[in-house]
Amino acid sequence: MSVSRRTLAAAAFVALVLPLSACGSGGDDGGSGDASGKVEGDITFQTWNLRANFKSYFDGVIADFEKQYPGTHVKWIDQPAEGYADKISADAAGGTLPDVVNVSPDLVAPLAKAGLALDLDKAAAKYRKEYLPGAWASHRIPGMTGTYAFPWYLNTGPLFYNKSLFKKAGLDPDSPPKTYDDLFADALTMAHKSDGKVATLANVPTIEDFGRYGVELMNKEGTAFTFNDAKGVQLLSKYKELYDAKALDPQALTATPESSGRKFLTEAVAMNPGSALDLDNFKKQAPNLYKNIGITDQITSTGHVNMYVMGVMVNSRTKRTPAAVAFAHYVTDAEHQMSFAKKVAIFPSTAGSLEDPYFTKEDGTDETRVRIAAAKSLKNAVNYTPVLFSDQMKTALRNEVAKALQGKESPKAALDNAVKACNTLLQQQG
Amino acid sequence: MSVLEKARPVSRPEAPGPRVTDEHGRRIRVGELVVRYVLLLVVLALTVGPFLWQLSTSLKGPTEDIFSSPPKFLPGHPTLHNYERVADTIPVWDYALNSLKVAAANVVTNCVGSALAGYALARLRYRGRRVATLVFILAMLVPVEGIIIAQFTTMRELGLNNTLVGVVLPGCIAAMNVLLMRNAFLNLPYEIEEAAYVDGADVWQRFLRIALPSVRGTLAVVAIFAFMGAWDDFLWPLIVLSDPSKFTLTIGLNYLHGTFANDERLVAAGTVIAVAPLIALFACLQRYFFRGVGEGAVKG
Amino acid sequence: MATSTVTRVRRQLPSSPWLFAAPGLLITGVFILYPFVSTVVSAFTDRRTLVPGKFVGLANFRELLHDDMFWIGLRNSTLYIVCVVPALVVLPLLLALLVQKNIPGITFFRSAFYTPVVASIVVVGLIWVWLLDERGLINSLLESVGVGRVGFLSDQWLLLFSAMAVTVWKGLGYYMIIYLAALANVPRELHEAAAVDGAGAVRRFRTVTVPAVRSTMVLVGALSSVAAFKVFSEVYLMAGPSGGPAGEDTTLVMLVQRTGTGLTGRVGYASAISLVVFVVTVALMLLVLRADRREAS
Repeated sequence: MSVSRRTLAAAAFVALVLPLSACGSGGDDGGSGDASGKVEGDITFQTWNLRANFKSYFDGVIADFEKQYPGTHVKWIDQPAEGYADKISADAAGGTLPDVVNVSPDLVAPLAKAGLALDLDKAAAKYRKEYLPGAWASHRIPGMTGTYAFPWYLNTGPLFYNKSLFKKAGLDPDSPPKTYDDLFADALTMAHKSDGKVATLANVPTIEDFGRYGVELMNKEGTAFTFNDAKGVQLLSKYKELYDAKALDPQALTATPESSGRKFLTEAVAMNPGSALDLDNFKKQAPNLYKNIGITDQITSTGHVNMYVMGVMVNSRTKRTPAAVAFAHYVTDAEHQMSFAKKVAIFPSTAGSLEDPYFTKEDGTDETRVRIAAAKSLKNAVNYTPVLFSDQMKTALRNEVAKALQGKESPKAALDNAVKACNTLLQQQG
Repeated sequence: MSVLEKARPVSRPEAPGPRVTDEHGRRIRVGELVVRYVLLLVVLALTVGPFLWQLSTSLKGPTEDIFSSPPKFLPGHPTLHNYERVADTIPVWDYALNSLKVAAANVVTNCVGSALAGYALARLRYRGRRVATLVFILAMLVPVEGIIIAQFTTMRELGLNNTLVGVVLPGCIAAMNVLLMRNAFLNLPYEIEEAAYVDGADVWQRFLRIALPSVRGTLAVVAIFAFMGAWDDFLWPLIVLSDPSKFTLTIGLNYLHGTFANDERLVAAGTVIAVAPLIALFACLQRYFFRGVGEGAVKG
Repeated sequence: MATSTVTRVRRQLPSSPWLFAAPGLLITGVFILYPFVSTVVSAFTDRRTLVPGKFVGLANFRELLHDDMFWIGLRNSTLYIVCVVPALVVLPLLLALLVQKNIPGITFFRSAFYTPVVASIVVVGLIWVWLLDERGLINSLLESVGVGRVGFLSDQWLLLFSAMAVTVWKGLGYYMIIYLAALANVPRELHEAAAVDGAGAVRRFRTVTVPAVRSTMVLVGALSSVAAFKVFSEVYLMAGPSGGPAGEDTTLVMLVQRTGTGLTGRVGYASAISLVVFVVTVALMLLVLRADRREAS
């Protein structure tokens, strides 16, 4: 017995004397924020799950860059879909973050706050006018000055619907819902006519749904969330009605984008938001559905559709600031975004690119139709998800929404709780 | 199919042919035999069925509706096309080679390290032996999810991030395996080593020539656990490695979940690629494995 | 006599025990215990992923008491033990009895029953989600026999039970092997004597088999309850990262993962939960071992 007591004592001793692991403060040996020097040296560029399909594209971009700036060498690393945030966290905490990193706005915010993202308003202000103003602004962080990533590709898309399910429910397959009121009415009809077997929506409302419905998500200063206002409660109450009528899929509370996409594929759900990329997927995976696919515009009460933004961030501790900034700009400039957009159905964030005939000229195919409509809507699209909205906040909102739908809480109480939880998390983020 | 051949006695158990007997040479009644085989087949369907369903999905061609209801158990036009696509999409052989390196290294270090440590815990008496045992028991109970970033920081301080060595190191002598080996050695009779001691063998010789050969089966168990663990691990290799050319198969297969679109057939083919080598390995080693368990490796 | 031998061994080579144990101790110390100690330290700080944080005393633990999610996690992890452990103590034993007799083809069956253990949990999760989906294989079969579709992946409790079923499914083969080893050591005379006395299969199982493998049952109980309390992957893969409807299926380790990882992770708070998990598992082990010792004596 004496042995184990001694072990405990030793453990306690180690615990007390041991300093806190110096996470985040490690590796303060980085370079300056000055990007004006000579573009040279070795840099590392990290992308998020793009290698499998676009290897030759990136190899080409890198080769061209190295040719244009002799003396540079770009090492490209690509990370798989899952665990990207964990990977970046470990690298950020361990001081091994690559020089140029593909990020989404919610990843930029904590990195910028920890001083790991270069302020491009200082280091690369001259490039600012090359991008759509909305896209450039999407990497600003409330409470901080500066912009912390180059905007890269954008994505948005229409709403797909299943014409044969619409027909079966006695709805006109050629006049899909245009407003939220239409949508909710059609969904209830669909559920009623199919005896609750066919739902119209497969996802619970997320923060961007609240935004698109016209709810003010945050106060002007970006210091507190406000989505528990009357409008937010109205949207959630409406969803509750749909859920009770099975017009919102019963599995929605646990749905992921993949699972709800699959529901649409198996014709268990009549509508699904998507993008031009999905058309190809429908063709391959569910040829029967593809014959009956209907395409309509994203529904919004604000006149602005939602868009997703990808960015390219420069590590503020890079030893090769000029090369890193030059490369981040090179990847995201109009020419390269345009050629990337032609490889896969995404949209460039550079000013003027959306006027390209590729995004304006119909050729009779569904793909082109979807692309042109999306490009048009992107000109005033908004990334509704606040950059400060962390994964933990998403979970908090999702769980409160679920409680309201299940009837465990009133929509008002649920949103009040969600706002309270998110505000606490926001404070803790400092 | 070997399944059918082996299961044939079910169809004609009353035939006079070879008598079916149990391990003690007693004849088993026909009725009991039928019940046994029926139960075995039910459990077989439950344990292996899900894998076969995945295999069937991976063999379905692009024109076949994989979401049809009711489901089709057999692919209409079986094709290996999805496997070719996996190989076209990612350098699957390079990843498999990396996985193999990591798994092989993990097997070697675990077998050597846990045999040595297990022997020390079971056979050698010294001050601190109980503390040492306690260290391994506690290590087994540590929830790994909470310590992964700290592990990474340590690895970086050692300069081993982004190396396959870094992938192997934290699990290279797993506490669980040490305890398995300890139990195996504890169950060996002392007398054999006693005789060798009288003959003048020192501790290394007794370990290598006498103790170790007697626990071969347990070593097979450790080897399989080590191989499985390294082959299946996802989060740790992902965090340690940055360079895609060093990625292991589990990370590599994750590329099949597209950023822009998901293809269930491709994912199914990927999972089959991930599981098949393990099943093959296990099928080859199962004889030693079951013997190892028989040594009482995992008894209390 | 054994003791005298080892005493002499020690006299002969005093350093060898440490040489033997050193690699294992070193690896365990550096990569498991040292990071764990820093987790323990973090539990008393407000550390976040990118911010070192400062000492906050017991604040994290006080917060735990008022965190609904923590209690949900504790409830689910405990429920997991209550439901999964009895199944994993009994079913693999029955399975082991089924595959114990050397009838033709039995090696094939033994190996086949072990396959779920070999496959990675991620693969297993993918397969089962694919099977249990509302339009998946199992629901199609249920519908064709007239039961109708069941929301395995949408109802809070069905989800948890489905995850438990997968845990049991994956663990069957593993514990079956442990029982096989133990059964091999049950003297057959016991069974024969009982059979002569006219005991049926059920009574022989109760009066001969169970007492003979009692200590193995305790071991299986201890191993499976520790694993059950630390359950993560099955529930995470089936219920999703947010833990099922309204997070009602969250387990404690899922909560550690959710609060502690990512760039905005609250490492300090997550460490506090980790510490609770660790203390409970150690207590569980001690409890089981102690109960065993008392019963044995």
